[in-house]
Amino acid sequence: MPSDRVLIIGGGPAGIEAARNLADLGIPVTIVEARERLGGMPIHAQYAALTPDLEDAETAMNRRIEPLLGHPLVDLRCNSAVTGSSGTAGDFRVRVAVGGKEDVVPAAAIIVATGFQHFDPGRETQMYGYYEFDDVITLPDCEKMLKEHKVVRPSNGQPPECVAFIQCVGSRDRQIGNEFCSKVCCGIASKEAIEIRQQLPNCKVFIFYIDMRMYGYWENELYWPAQEKHKVNYVRGIVSEVLKKGDRLVIRGEDTTLGRPVEAPMDLVVLSVGMEPSKGTREMAKLLGLPQNPYGYLDTVGVPLDTVSTAVEGVFAAGSCTGPADLEDSISAGATAAMRAAVLLRKKRAGAEARG
Amino acid sequence: MPIEKEKILSVEPERIREKSRFVLDGMDISGHWNRMFEQRVLWGYEPDRLDQVTKLDGGESLGWCYQCGKCVGVCPVDVVGDYGPRKIFRKVQSGIDLFTDDDLWLCTTCGNCLRVCPKEVDMIQIMPAVREQAVLEGHMPPELQDAFEKTAKYGNPLGEPARKRADWTREAGVEVPILAKTKRAVDVLWWVECYPAYHPRGREASRALARTLAALGIDFGIVGVDEKCVADSQRLAGEKGLFESLAEDNVKTLAKYEFRRLMVTDPHAYNAFKNEYPKHGGSYDVVHYTQLLAPLVSKVEWKKTLAARVTFHDPCYLGRHNGEYEAPREILRAIPGVEVVEMFRCRQNGYCCGGGGGGMWLDGFNAPHLEERLSERRVREAVEVGADVLAVCCPFEVSRFEDAVKSTGNEGKLVVRDIIELVDEARGARQ
Repeated sequence: MPSDRVLIIGGGPAGIEAARNLADLGIPVTIVEARERLGGMPIHAQYAALTPDLEDAETAMNRRIEPLLGHPLVDLRCNSAVTGSSGTAGDFRVRVAVGGKEDVVPAAAIIVATGFQHFDPGRETQMYGYYEFDDVITLPDCEKMLKEHKVVRPSNGQPPECVAFIQCVGSRDRQIGNEFCSKVCCGIASKEAIEIRQQLPNCKVFIFYIDMRMYGYWENELYWPAQEKHKVNYVRGIVSEVLKKGDRLVIRGEDTTLGRPVEAPMDLVVLSVGMEPSKGTREMAKLLGLPQNPYGYLDTVGVPLDTVSTAVEGVFAAGSCTGPADLEDSISAGATAAMRAAVLLRKKRAGAEARG
Repeated sequence: MPIEKEKILSVEPERIREKSRFVLDGMDISGHWNRMFEQRVLWGYEPDRLDQVTKLDGGESLGWCYQCGKCVGVCPVDVVGDYGPRKIFRKVQSGIDLFTDDDLWLCTTCGNCLRVCPKEVDMIQIMPAVREQAVLEGHMPPELQDAFEKTAKYGNPLGEPARKRADWTREAGVEVPILAKTKRAVDVLWWVECYPAYHPRGREASRALARTLAALGIDFGIVGVDEKCVADSQRLAGEKGLFESLAEDNVKTLAKYEFRRLMVTDPHAYNAFKNEYPKHGGSYDVVHYTQLLAPLVSKVEWKKTLAARVTFHDPCYLGRHNGEYEAPREILRAIPGVEVVEMFRCRQNGYCCGGGGGGMWLDGFNAPHLEERLSERRVREAVEVGADVLAVCCPFEVSRFEDAVKSTGNEGKLVVRDIIELVDEARGARQ
């Protein structure tokens, strides 16, 4: 008799949603999570509030995590890693390591939800001086400060009077090799800009952008309120580089709608870093033999009409391991992968029963 | 001073460039210039103009621009004028004919835009490709044409006789072996290039370099009268044919001599020998003189302390184009008494002197489009950081910057020296 279990690799938003749906259908799941707790990037990177509704990230994620803890059908393995896999759809045998001990988990299907990592702005070039200047930070660095209600210039601990966000850092860039749009950074920068204006009402906030990509409701839920209600200044034209003059930063670039160069002093510069496939995503691709696109994300075979199937039957991929994704995308894909896994499991079981 | 109305109206509005301050009959009317002319709407777009550029070999990437504006923030021309790669794309897209437009000649091919461009729009390919067509069709500034003609006729853009190419060696104070005469193999074949061979200030640097090489016991020699212009700047200014024919001659000339390394004084020659000559049958182990000398500074016998605050101007074709930022600085730091200070724009972000890509021969033509010369802007940056000496290591730069020191009123505050002149002076060898 083949296994009736689904193994989920990665306990972030997509993995959690897949587990929740499968458990609700009465299907046992094993979640293999590399970190010490569930929640994925919103928890691990200490996001302040989720985009677009600005609900506290920990509260929102815990609402999803708690029902899984102690659930009789959920076998949760934190601090663990998948180290090998054999077998085929309906009958995989997956090696899972926890603290030096290895264990084989039989599974009918595998859902990979290993997610993304934030682009490291010091990796390719030093143009924005991320490792050079204390007051150049990233979106996730800013999230941590927002969560603590302590937005300050790291160089002196004082609240900034002038903050600049620079969009498209590590995205839409042929030289870096990330030609894709990371999809969420325009919205997240706008969200953080609103939060800064709420926490520091006297701080001037600027967002330097190429195109503001505010899909669907993000336009009216984030972009317009940011500009109209929270007085965030949007300037078209991306910053070319950040330099230091005295104890302040100077951003150099072009205000393209005015057609003039800008050399403006700023206290804090936030780099809107994009997404890249996580280390776990790259490792699982190799380990499970899943084809990757040129950027390292997992290839799904049937887009746009099938967003979760991979080239390996019985292995599904969901969330930002397949490409830049917002929370809504990840949750939808997690649920879709759960459904495809459940269907596969039922078919295999029906086949096995027919053979008797 | 009365304005002649007819004269003003006869000027096309787009050719008017505002002065930073314009006082007329005691009244400051700065910033009011364009108000004298009717603003107009765009009547339409002519994407065909863009197609004419992108269909050229090398012109393709102009069509990739997505208007982020990163290039303008680092374009040295936009700092003193109203020209930037992003703007070129928009202008061409909205119908200007780049092949006949003045904007075609403003780019110095400094390469700073390409460094920051997320789409890899490559002006170092685009500009020469479009200029080549313009030159073939006879649309080129007369002063540039003059430099091309002199290069073709005399083998150098200064129009000096070829037989005088090695005359500078007479007053070097040391023997400068000329390989055609010595007929022996050398370790270092020194390719002198035109400005170091003919220009009075270039010659001084060449003599200083000859003395230093001799003092260090380096086995070197020069080609002499058979050397012709490497013509990399002429290539980038659109004279590809001239470049190719000179490359053919120079490759033949070099084939006559035995040497281990090819040393150049000129970063533009360095770029051509390293990146272009291999395509024309000439592959050499090429070094810039600063790269040859930097590892040897501990062997130099210093006799004088210079006590100077020195700032270094990175040549675009040594730094950004070929990645050498350290060798010149290593030499400067080794000179007794020298304090090296950096300007706001340096290394990868170094400013351009305005001489590259044909700019050396376009100062007059480009002047109406610029508030000031790029070299003038750079000199003011050097003065801002309190430097006494602006050190250079590209033969275009000494004369450009010395002119700029005068025109910006900084005589007595700042002197311009080739690095090798400072070395020569600190060795007590300067004559």
